Amino acid sequence: MLKIINGGIETLVEDWPGRLGYLGKGMSASGAFDNVGLGLANVLVGNPSGEAGLEITGGFLEAEFDGDHVIAMGGSDMQPTINGQPVPLWESIKVGAGVVIKFLHIGPTGFRCYLAVAGGVDVPAYLGSKSTCIFGSYGGFQGRALVEGDEVLFGEPSADLAALAGRKLKEGAVPQLTNELVLRAIPGPNTCPDYVTEEGMDLLFERVSKIQHTSNRSAYRLEELPDSFFARADGGVGGSHPSNIIDHAYAIRGALNICGNTPILLIADGPTLGGYMCALNVINADLWKVGQGAPGRDFMRFELSNQDEAIAARKEQKELLSEASLA
Amino acid sequence: MEKSVNAIMPGLCARVVVAEGDQVSKGQEVAVINCMKTEIQVNSEYDGVVTKVISKEWDEMQVGDPMVMLEVEE
Repeated sequence: MLKIINGGIETLVEDWPGRLGYLGKGMSASGAFDNVGLGLANVLVGNPSGEAGLEITGGFLEAEFDGDHVIAMGGSDMQPTINGQPVPLWESIKVGAGVVIKFLHIGPTGFRCYLAVAGGVDVPAYLGSKSTCIFGSYGGFQGRALVEGDEVLFGEPSADLAALAGRKLKEGAVPQLTNELVLRAIPGPNTCPDYVTEEGMDLLFERVSKIQHTSNRSAYRLEELPDSFFARADGGVGGSHPSNIIDHAYAIRGALNICGNTPILLIADGPTLGGYMCALNVINADLWKVGQGAPGRDFMRFELSNQDEAIAARKEQKELLSEASLA
Repeated sequence: MEKSVNAIMPGLCARVVVAEGDQVSKGQEVAVINCMKTEIQVNSEYDGVVTKVISKEWDEMQVGDPMVMLEVEE
């Protein structure tokens, strides 16, 4: 068990791939924002890569263990300490009763750190997932972020704790975090020539855009596009602005919605439908990077991709999130 | 000894809730940062007296940026 002393900015229980199959009911998948960080931390402690862990956004989580556990952390380096002593990310560590783990603020890169514990977080699965949908107040730990006094339980480890402790990743398996996220993306469904000018699409794939401070688990907002981006003068029967179209389903996670002149990347807890055009979709294998983009600090750039590359990248990521990545 | 209360998150300064001359205690809220469409409290790590308010509403903040200066007893 882990007793929360300080929940920090926002600490959630998340698994991967989240709550699939309910988009038609208006429920987004939720799930770990950086599935690579969570996945590798899980592999280190002997869990399936999609097992539920703690997603620590912004830092400042402080908590005390009440028994023997093996833990691992991945993602942004929030300078974690155990009983005041610095501990590394990306390796499994044995902790005992009375051990206090503490995280500081975000590192120079990244925005979220994942804490995986052997056996996984033991919360009831809701509609097939342990993930928290923070905006819907369901799933995870009582549908909310952790706060002081919460007691988080864990499941049964897959092996003896002594065998799970001290595991590290192979060189090259540790994800490299940057302040400029390069996201491979496939144009569509609303692109040129009907909705966007050719120059507009070129701009979308060329420019580097700052992640706005209003970004969160629902959507990452980028800098506004010029009016010349749009091929239409208005949205016709969809509305007065050229970004308006008749309501349609959004291909989340990863659809870039154009809301007025503002591009908004719809992700973990994002809306499932609406009346704005979508100009591209980030490939599934690159979505983890978005979770490590700090609002108000980092930048995002799209790189033209295609279906074959997206499928190959997804296979490569599946291999990465396995015991093949252990040293 | 002069100490600063620093931003703990990137974002916009929503407000500073203390003024020059105010006595503040360790753990007391001194400012608020707007990020992720939510308000994040910035608390003092020290007991002290506010000597200067550095941040104002809508200022862009990065982690570690000083928001308020304090005179702290050694």
